[in-house]
Amino acid sequence: MPILTKPLRQPTRVIAPLLLLLAAWAAVAGFGLVDPIVLPAPWSVLHAVSGMVRDRIVGDIALTLGRVLGALAIAGAVGIPVGLYLGYRQRWYQMVEGPLHALRSIPASALFPLFLIIVGVGETSIVALAAYPSLLVILVNTVTGATLANKRRLYQAKLFELSSFETITDIVFYEALPNIFDGVRTAASYSMVLVIAVEMFVGLGERGLGRAIYEYQATYRIPEAYAAVIVAGAIGILLNLVVNTLQNRMLRWLPNVHE
Amino acid sequence: MLTVLSTQRARAPAAGEHALRVRGVDFSYCTAASDSKALYSGFELDIEQGSVVALMGASGCGKSTLGKMMARIIKPTAGRIEWSPQFSRRADVVYMDQHPMNSIFPWQTVRGNLEYPLEKLGWSDLECHARVAYLASLFRLDGILDSLPAQISGGELQRLALARCLSWRPPLVILDEPFSALDRDVKTNIIHALHELATKDGMTVVLITHNVSDALAIGMRYVIIGDRPVRTMSDMEFKSPHPRERGTLDYDTMEKALIACIRDGLV
Repeated sequence: MPILTKPLRQPTRVIAPLLLLLAAWAAVAGFGLVDPIVLPAPWSVLHAVSGMVRDRIVGDIALTLGRVLGALAIAGAVGIPVGLYLGYRQRWYQMVEGPLHALRSIPASALFPLFLIIVGVGETSIVALAAYPSLLVILVNTVTGATLANKRRLYQAKLFELSSFETITDIVFYEALPNIFDGVRTAASYSMVLVIAVEMFVGLGERGLGRAIYEYQATYRIPEAYAAVIVAGAIGILLNLVVNTLQNRMLRWLPNVHE
Repeated sequence: MLTVLSTQRARAPAAGEHALRVRGVDFSYCTAASDSKALYSGFELDIEQGSVVALMGASGCGKSTLGKMMARIIKPTAGRIEWSPQFSRRADVVYMDQHPMNSIFPWQTVRGNLEYPLEKLGWSDLECHARVAYLASLFRLDGILDSLPAQISGGELQRLALARCLSWRPPLVILDEPFSALDRDVKTNIIHALHELATKDGMTVVLITHNVSDALAIGMRYVIIGDRPVRTMSDMEFKSPHPRERGTLDYDTMEKALIACIRDGLV
């Protein structure tokens, strides 16, 4: 079994360190070692949750999660097929490789002002900005996977006189799948980081988890700010878990999975 | 060099009945000018339709390279590989890789792997089911039809790869070490299965192997290659009927001759 599912099988290994961390936090706060403005006690963070629910935090979470998933969906829907084709027809990839890597080295957050000019403030620009680096990372990983496809197995495409489309859907896709998942996993955290960051700076009137964190911090509701940050972290873990579950299911056939 | 009882030099087959002809083939793995000699230089070989030819030689002598050139997987730098004009489809000539994982799709079940080629080559569902059932029993894959290749043993994998390569009755099959992962008992059965299919469907089989007893179990003609550039060290026929028993005079003489020839070809 891949290492990623192990934590689920042995919950104590995951929970024990977390409890230890929580205990350390409680001790630091309980003994008053740190100013509560900098680090509020765990119980005041927990207490803050009821107030956050009144502030419609659930809606914010849903909104942020929706944006992240939207960005990922766009990135996957474009990145996977295009990546498979470019990896299969490597001549095309050689043509776009240079510009692609140039684009990849520009931090996506630095492009935000440009995105605002091009698509304006709003849902589209938030999702588009998160989709952009996710798309690039899925694309590059998919191309790598498709390029690494077993040449001897691709002989079968010639043998059965498969069309390019059949070759890609029947062979190249499966060959690239492990790399596609690597790309999707990285893209999931990129999307999460960017959506939260953009929400923080997009300005008044917008909502979302990032916006909530920003407003709590700006109004010195520090326990709430901490709670919101923890929620953001939890969403990240959850996303990773979903990707892993999907990966284990779809890559059941990989030889090393059974060793 | 060989004057042996029932073995005789293969006659030059009459024109027009060839499954395959290798004509003046050059091949070298080193593209840059280097110290190593060309692997193949002006190599020639004819393979008669319906024959079972064991292509033998020591490890690393270029057997697989020749097999891949015959199947048009790799291109010779010069010369021609001629297929019989009766082979109209690409799938009429199949090469089974010596690593069985390369000849199957690991993401499909054993059943899926057997069905895939037939579906792609336009077999009806009915024909396809019947063929899969037949192959599964012939190659002893009945119990594992719903398993994934990663879940089955190396021997089962090799049987699957072999069954898949033969599934659509290709008129010419080039099998690269197809029995290497099989244990003795199973091997006997599988060699029988291959013999049955080859005779029934009139297949031409090129069996690439360095294993003399595997070759003797099924072959009709023995082409031993060696040296560098590769040349035919010996080209013999062995017409003893099947199944062949070790210990008979014919068998033992043939075995000795083959082993000696392979040794002569060592570079």
